[in-house]
Parts: sequence; structure tokens; C-alpha cells
Amino acid sequence: MATKVNRATAVGDAPASRHSPELLLGLYRMMVKCRMCDEKARILFKQGKYAGNFYSNVGQEGGEVGAAFSLREDDWVAPSHRDWTSCIVKGAPLKACFAQLYGKTDSPDRGKSTPAHMGYPELHIITPASTIAAQLMIGTGVAWGLKRQAKDSVVVSFCGDGATSIGWFHEALNFAGVHRLPMLYVVQNNLWAESVPLRLQTALTDLSDRAKGHGITGVSVDGNDILAVYDAATKAIARARAGQGPTVLECKTYRWYGHSEIDPAKYRMPEEVAEWKKKDPIPRFEKYLADRKLLSDQIKKQVRDEITREIDEAVEFAEKSPYPAPEEALEHIWA
Amino acid sequence: MARTITYIDAINEALHQEMERDSRVCILGEDLGMGGGVFKATAGLYQKFGEERVLDSPLAEGIIIAAAIGASLVGYRPVPEIQFADFIGDAVDPILQQAAKLRYRSAGGYSCPITIRVCWGGGTGGGLYHSQENTTWFAHEPGIRVLAPSTAYDAKGMLIAAIRDENPVLFFEHKKLYRTAKSEVPEEPYTVSLDEAAVRRPGRDMTVLTYGYMASVVMEAAEEMAKRGVDAEVVDLRTLAPLDKKTIVESVRKTNRCLIVHEDTKTLGIGAELSAILNEEAFDDLDAPIMRVTGPDVPPVPFSPPLEKFFMVDKEKVLAGMEKLAAY
Repeated sequence: MATKVNRATAVGDAPASRHSPELLLGLYRMMVKCRMCDEKARILFKQGKYAGNFYSNVGQEGGEVGAAFSLREDDWVAPSHRDWTSCIVKGAPLKACFAQLYGKTDSPDRGKSTPAHMGYPELHIITPASTIAAQLMIGTGVAWGLKRQAKDSVVVSFCGDGATSIGWFHEALNFAGVHRLPMLYVVQNNLWAESVPLRLQTALTDLSDRAKGHGITGVSVDGNDILAVYDAATKAIARARAGQGPTVLECKTYRWYGHSEIDPAKYRMPEEVAEWKKKDPIPRFEKYLADRKLLSDQIKKQVRDEITREIDEAVEFAEKSPYPAPEEALEHIWA
Repeated sequence: MARTITYIDAINEALHQEMERDSRVCILGEDLGMGGGVFKATAGLYQKFGEERVLDSPLAEGIIIAAAIGASLVGYRPVPEIQFADFIGDAVDPILQQAAKLRYRSAGGYSCPITIRVCWGGGTGGGLYHSQENTTWFAHEPGIRVLAPSTAYDAKGMLIAAIRDENPVLFFEHKKLYRTAKSEVPEEPYTVSLDEAAVRRPGRDMTVLTYGYMASVVMEAAEEMAKRGVDAEVVDLRTLAPLDKKTIVESVRKTNRCLIVHEDTKTLGIGAELSAILNEEAFDDLDAPIMRVTGPDVPPVPFSPPLEKFFMVDKEKVLAGMEKLAAY
């Protein structure tokens, strides 16, 4: 019997993809963009171009892009300190993202928050604090409001494995469970909470099991398999939009670098890091695409060249953007 | 038309009227829906507005406040309740790190118009964990109003003003005032300024700065002192953050003496800040050192009646403080 197959996938031995070439290439381009922006942010910090610190997401792009890629403009994102790139996925202009690093007036918060703590109100990205899991609680409150307004918007909130230990994670999940809120909690389990390994964080193997205790859905996926994340996230988001409640999505992944740019991460074995770098989500997805004749070296180069140009423009913009006047410290305290 | 009602009825009336006026107003907290609140501050609201707007929350102060913050970001004006100030610990991060700083950290991109009602204060036999005052934990933080009305009139007018205010607000209600404080309160909605202290009793000889339940204690003491020939001006702060420095300083410039009375423990209580402000802005006008009558530096409030009496500031302690200041 003839099978109608996706035009992208009728090649060699590779099984058919469920997704359109446009989507697949969109996901790929966004992962590369996040990687390149993040690496650029690290370089700029090391060059002393901006103060403060930066919390790299490199290695975790499968979760970051896979979870947020399908969001609509009216959906919300509640990021943590490690989710600067989630702003890029949600659509924030790169110029604003880099101005954020520099603490300039063209950053969304005019230099009030630290480089990686980026929000973007026009796109419903909630400016984060550093207190772990707070973003999950506030995101849950937003979801409560959205549900009461009978909107079908959803909230995606990111956190790490460490955040699942603190009480507020559980207060948020419990409340979301009671009210079946349109929430997707993305747990980027990168095995290390700053310098504390997972074995000292929890007795659990799968952090999605946290959901069971609150009567909500929990799913664990290979976070370095972007399509596994994308599929699980879009399913959870569809359920949330349909009023079927929240989901905890654990993405098993790895943080390539230290907790921050001033952390050499000597507490990790080099072998462990090397092993995980072999599982890099980007080459893995490149192979998936190449196997289906969707990606050539030429396209790869083209994608990188375009992003490089965009980044260069954004960095130049950020460097030219003025610093806030010192007295701006007095503004935005009271309505 | 005005009639005499209690402090708690004034609060209840304010909530009813604001919820009728503005469908964005909603309340959540422990036991306040079907139960009507442990002090009945929210009586009748659940029956009138339903679970959509009057929500019995899980027993978790953090999410009570955080849910309110989140809902405020999508247009609601939530009025969450912390049943006892003693239980606010779990909500300190949501209050101080989130609500108070959201506007600042987003450079005005987000604002957080929530009004957190908190029941506080000793003198009712509540013991160590149903008596505390922790207003100054929060008054220290820029970006959140801290209110502590002392009369039924102010309770209604300030609660309505707080709900309509764009800033996050902590609204401290002293449980001892709930049924003892009564005043003429208009039936119709009205607002009271959230930026001004109230001169409750004009006087020439000394200024007494106070707030909350202590305001009523100080008023009684001031009348007694008048009989003894000392004419005290009583300033009810009403708002602890931001402080109405103008009224405070002007009063002390006029009377040249200042006694600060608060129920809170002494060290780093609001009295310390008031004293520092007067030192900076009215030093040349002072004829005597600024004095304080406060709770002692012990965990508030020990339970056994003699212990609680030792802790609480009462009329006799205020009178002794006023006599000492007058004699200086």
C-alpha cells in the first residue's frame, strides 16, 4: 500500500519525520542562534565588555528551544537566571538581548537587572529574580489569572534540577494542580546545581516524578534530543490550552560550563564533561536533518553567517547604547 | 451616611464595595472563603462573589502571595491575606524580592498592584506565634507600602485606597482593634491618603509618634497628661513606608520634644528610624533627647498573662515616658 510520506523524509533509510522541513529548519536555526549568542555573551564577558556575570545555557539548547519554540506571542515565559536565550526563542530582538548584557538604556530594564536576568514585557517574558524557583511561583500566578480570564494562553517556566528541592517549587505545582492551570514547568536537569551533584539534591532518578506528588502530569525526555523535547512540550502546551492542566517536563541534559562565568567548575570530572559534549544536541540534530537531505554544509554555513551578522550588529548596537544616568537608580521604585 | 461601626466591619465593608465596583479585585488566603476568615474580616464575600473571586488557598503563604503577584501581571487587583503576621515568613521572598522589586527590576515594564492584608499584634493572649509585629521587616524595603491604620475610618478608607493604588501594599490590621476600635464611617466608599500621617490630637508641649493599636493607648495617656498640665500632640503615623516625614518633622519643630511609642521590640524598630530622621532634620529644634517607649527586646509575645503584660506597652508605661520627657 502506498504511504503518503513527508516530502522531506523519503530518503535512504531515515524514517519519516513527523515534522515539516520548515519547522525542522526553524528549530535548527534557533538552536544554532542560541548557541552562538550564548558563546558570544561568554566571550564578551571574558573580554571585560560588561560587568556582573553570565550564566551560560550552552549544552541545554534542546530543552530551551524545544520547549519554547511553539509559543505564541500571547503566551508567557517565566525564565530563570540561566534562560537568557529563552528571550531569543520567544522573539526578543537581539539588540535588546545584548544591551541587557551591557546594562545599557536600550535593555528592557534600562540596566536595572543583571545581564542574564532578562525580561521582555512586550512579549510577556517575566523579568526574573535570582531567588531560585520564584519564577515558577509567579508564572503559576499568571497562569491562574489567564485561566480565570478563560484565555487559552499558557505559561512556560524554566528551572534547573536544584530548584525542584525548594519548597516554592512544590507550592507552585500544588496550586497549579488544584486549579489545573495552563502551566508547563520545564526542568532543565543538567545534573549540577551550581556545584552540588544531583545525587545530593534528591533521591529521585526522574525529576518528573515530582509531579506525581501533586497529582499532575510529569514527563522526562532526553533534553539533547530537540524533537523529543518539542513533541513533549507541544503536547503539554496543547493540553494546557485545552484546560487539561499543568505538566512537569524534565529535560535530561548537561551544562557545559560552570555555574557562571567566574566558576571554573573544578568539581566536575573532565571525563564527564567530555562525555556530554559528545552528546551535543546540535550536531545530533544536524545529522538527523542531513540524513533527510534537509541540511547541507552550504546551508549550515549560510545559517551561521546570517546569525554572525545579526550578532555583530546587536553587539555594536549594545556598545553604542548609552549607559543610564546615575540618577536613574532613583526611578521605577514607586508607581 | 455615616454610622458607628467597628474596625473589622469597616474592612469587610471596604472589601465588599471594592469587589462590587471593580471585577478585577479578587481575594485569596487561608480560611477566608467558606469560613469567612478567622476574624470574619471576609464574611459574606464568598457567598456574594463565589469561588472565582474569593479563593480558599492551600495552606502555603508563598503561593498565596505569588499567585496574587502573577494574577496582577495579567490585570487583576488581588487582595491576598496572611492570616497572622507570624506566618508571613514563607512569603517574605514573594513580598520583598518579587512584589516590591518587580517594577524596579523591569524599569516599570511590570507593576504589581496587590494589597496584602496581614493580621498583627499582641495583647490578646495569642502567645509567641499569634502576636507578632514584623512591619519593619518590610518598611525597610523600598517599593512596597506598609500601612497600619488605627481607626475604623482609616481602615476602610486606606484599604480602598490601597486596592486602587498601583503599588504593592502591605496592610497591617491590629487584631486588638478589630472589635474595640469604632468610629463614624460613611456607608459609601471613600479613600484616605496613603502618604500622610494624622495629627490625632494637636498639642504644644511634646510630640508623641505612634501607630496601630498603640495610637489608642497613647490618646488615652495624652488626655491624662493634659489633666497633669502637659499638652501632647499625638501623631498617628498610619503609613510606615513611605513615612510622612513632613508631618513628623513639622510637629517636632513645633513642640520641641518627641516621644516614640510602639508595640514592636525596641532594637531597630521604626522608632530608631524616626529618631534618626529627627536627628537629621530637626536637631536644632529639640529641647530634650528623643525618647522611646516600646516592647522589650524579647521574642514577641510570651504567653502567660503576667509575661504578656510585661511585654505590652500600656497606658501606664506611656504615661511614665511622657512624664520623663516632660521633666527633662
